[in-house]
Amino acid sequence: MRKTLRPLRYCLVIALFVLGACIAGAEEPRSGGVLRWREISDPPRLDPATASDSVSNRNLYLMFDTLVENDIDGKGLLPRLAESWEGSEEGRVWTFRLRKGARFHATNRGSPTGNGGREVRAADWKYSFERLVKVGSPRAYFIDMVKGYRDFTDGKTSEWSGIRVIDDHTLQFELEYSFAPFVSILAYPCFAVVPREDAEKAGVNFNFGPVGSGPFLLDHWEHDQKVVYKRNPDYWRRDDGGRPLPYLDGVEIIVIPDNTIAYGEFRKGNIDVLPDVPDEFYTDVKERFGNLFQERPLLGVYYIGFNYAKPPFKDNRTLRKALNYAVDRKAMSDFLLEGRYAPAPGVLPPGMPGYDPDLKGYDFDPGLARKMLAEAGAAEGFSVELNIDNNPRHRTVAEGLQGLLAEFGIDLRVNVLDWGVHLDLADRGETQMYRMGWIVDYADPDNFLYVLFHSDNFGPKGNYSYYKNEKVDGLLTEARIETDYDRRMALYREAERIIVDDAPWMFLFYYTTSLVGGEHVRNLRLPAFGHYSTPLEIAWIDR
Amino acid sequence: MLSYVLRKILYFIPVVWGVVTVVFILVTIVPGDPARLLMGQRGDPETLARIRSDLGLDLPISRQYIRFLGDLLRGDLGTSYRNNEKVAASLMEHFGATLRLAFWAMILASVIGVSAGILSAVKQYSLFDYSAMFIAVAGVSAPVFWVGLLLLLIFAYGLQILPGVGYGDGSWRYLILPVVTLGTRPAALIARLTRSCMLDVMNQDYIRTARSKGLTERVVVLKHAFKNALIPVNTIIGTQVAELLSGAVLTETIFAWPGVGRLTVEALVARDFPMIRGSVIFMALIFLVTNLLVDLSYGLVDPRIRYD
Repeated sequence: MRKTLRPLRYCLVIALFVLGACIAGAEEPRSGGVLRWREISDPPRLDPATASDSVSNRNLYLMFDTLVENDIDGKGLLPRLAESWEGSEEGRVWTFRLRKGARFHATNRGSPTGNGGREVRAADWKYSFERLVKVGSPRAYFIDMVKGYRDFTDGKTSEWSGIRVIDDHTLQFELEYSFAPFVSILAYPCFAVVPREDAEKAGVNFNFGPVGSGPFLLDHWEHDQKVVYKRNPDYWRRDDGGRPLPYLDGVEIIVIPDNTIAYGEFRKGNIDVLPDVPDEFYTDVKERFGNLFQERPLLGVYYIGFNYAKPPFKDNRTLRKALNYAVDRKAMSDFLLEGRYAPAPGVLPPGMPGYDPDLKGYDFDPGLARKMLAEAGAAEGFSVELNIDNNPRHRTVAEGLQGLLAEFGIDLRVNVLDWGVHLDLADRGETQMYRMGWIVDYADPDNFLYVLFHSDNFGPKGNYSYYKNEKVDGLLTEARIETDYDRRMALYREAERIIVDDAPWMFLFYYTTSLVGGEHVRNLRLPAFGHYSTPLEIAWIDR
Repeated sequence: MLSYVLRKILYFIPVVWGVVTVVFILVTIVPGDPARLLMGQRGDPETLARIRSDLGLDLPISRQYIRFLGDLLRGDLGTSYRNNEKVAASLMEHFGATLRLAFWAMILASVIGVSAGILSAVKQYSLFDYSAMFIAVAGVSAPVFWVGLLLLLIFAYGLQILPGVGYGDGSWRYLILPVVTLGTRPAALIARLTRSCMLDVMNQDYIRTARSKGLTERVVVLKHAFKNALIPVNTIIGTQVAELLSGAVLTETIFAWPGVGRLTVEALVARDFPMIRGSVIFMALIFLVTNLLVDLSYGLVDPRIRYD
């Protein structure tokens, strides 16, 4: 009897030990504390309607709510201020049921707001979307498929007819045409709700005293130093245990322009989170901070574009493919970029809906590259210009390419340009080769493939290579209106394969995003959309 | 003297106009569209056209220039493209921090530079002279970013006796490292110039006469020699003040100091035309006013100088 019980006793002890470990591991979140987050510059804009950069967006995620939000892995959408939504059969009408009990900020910079902390209603959403057009938002056109956009933009109508308030908690959008990624776009931070009372009263100064309904409210903004946020005590969200969010008493966005100093401040404990770990400290951070360092693939691609409309790449697919085969992406990433970027076989990054794991792309093959160069009439080599913007990382990559292509007799002349000049030349197609990157706006392949390769989007709309393939145009247009998910993804995969075969780009890398947090910072979850969208309402401080 | 000052102020007008015009032309002809930068990497042509229209960038350059001059005459430097803030308000907000930094840096530089220069001249070829001049040469040669980083590494991150970066709550502790960083080079320049001017003066006949009258060495050095060596020193101090007030870009960047220099650099990167123009006009005025004050101070230092 004793003998038979012994194994059972062991099992019980082990089970208790495991249970104890689990309990100890699942720490109870603590409320309180202020989290200090480093940024490289002062946010230019805190008004969601006019912001278009990642530093501003970091701030917007703290203060504002959108209808939907991206899942942390970028694989789907979650409800935010919309509890649920449904599309009509043909995908032209989208109806959103709004969350009850969500309230606007009752205070702003220490004073009561005009809205008095009232509930967010459907009419506020209509106002906020119309306001995007009225204040000239650079992102309003993302939803130009909503019926009446043109008329409202041109001032022919006094309201945006395609946005309808059904009742206080129901909002409806009617689209000009079926557009499958519509709901994904609404997770972009500019499509946030703002209270009419405060936005109207402040006018252009809403940028300096923005009022939203998000987890934190603006306390004060010391330009070029810090932006200070306090916890929104009326925030609607609760954690799984029913505790009110956010846990933190506040967040400070600390502006430190210099990377060396920022790392010094982090190590000294003067900042709690260092996002986008600089290349020069990458190895040190990994060794020193171990598990506190987080890195994951970002939904973004880094590439060198060929000008499809100009010599030497015009009508010379063999030459474009030869250059793709001539580049050892893995070696470049390992030796030049600390192995931070993954070689890219194509356009869509891993984690993006429609990503094709079987896409072969271009492996480094010097023999094949030489053969194709000869076929393309460039056996003796040639000279070509590459435009890049002035950034140490891009300079390193360009110098690496220079070395690799020199092996094939290709004289790559690198022009380092100011970002504004670089964009300007790329817009007008006045380049032979250009460096560019693309980071997701909304988690749909449309945001990559349609924007960057459809011939409707030449120049500033995204297709800087002036790439045109009627078959690809047709597939991408069809995918935009296709409502069956699997069929859409199949269309995108087919389009991507043709694009890769046409080689309008030298496909290089998939980006990563990173951050390192102090050991006292808990539940810091790095999203696939980039460090700037890290949800700080669920983070807490253990000290 | 009043007529001299008025005349000088009248000279400001063509100088400022010239600066404004050159800056306007340079900023406008450089490739790179600010509207495009505001829009981000991607945008539709309609939105771009609307932003350009809102900013007045769709007007012919001549009309933009006339409009700009008209606003300037009304005292309006315009509104920043980047953050929609009034340029004048933004400059004044940042100038406070720069003024505080520059003032203390110049006090430090003047006290250390002048004292070291006088002592080196008086004790020429002594150990003190050699040491002071060695440090001065090092101070002139050392790049500002290097000095700043070194000070931070030692005092903020090593010994941890001073705060690292930022303006803090305005406490003097945050001021020490940026002031030392910014003051090092002017102190070295002033020390070298003071020494050389003092040596010139100390070899003059009237110094010998002063000594032969039985005056104490202290009176000879401070009253007779230093006063006469002061004019070039005064000039270099004036120039340095103007430079520091117009924005110490590197120091402000390293120490995350919210001053005019950083504001200007960010405006340049973002092609924020109104802010660039405003900053340059502001800097030009600082140089002009400082030079005027330096000119006026000559009369105080040397009564023989007249302003007729």
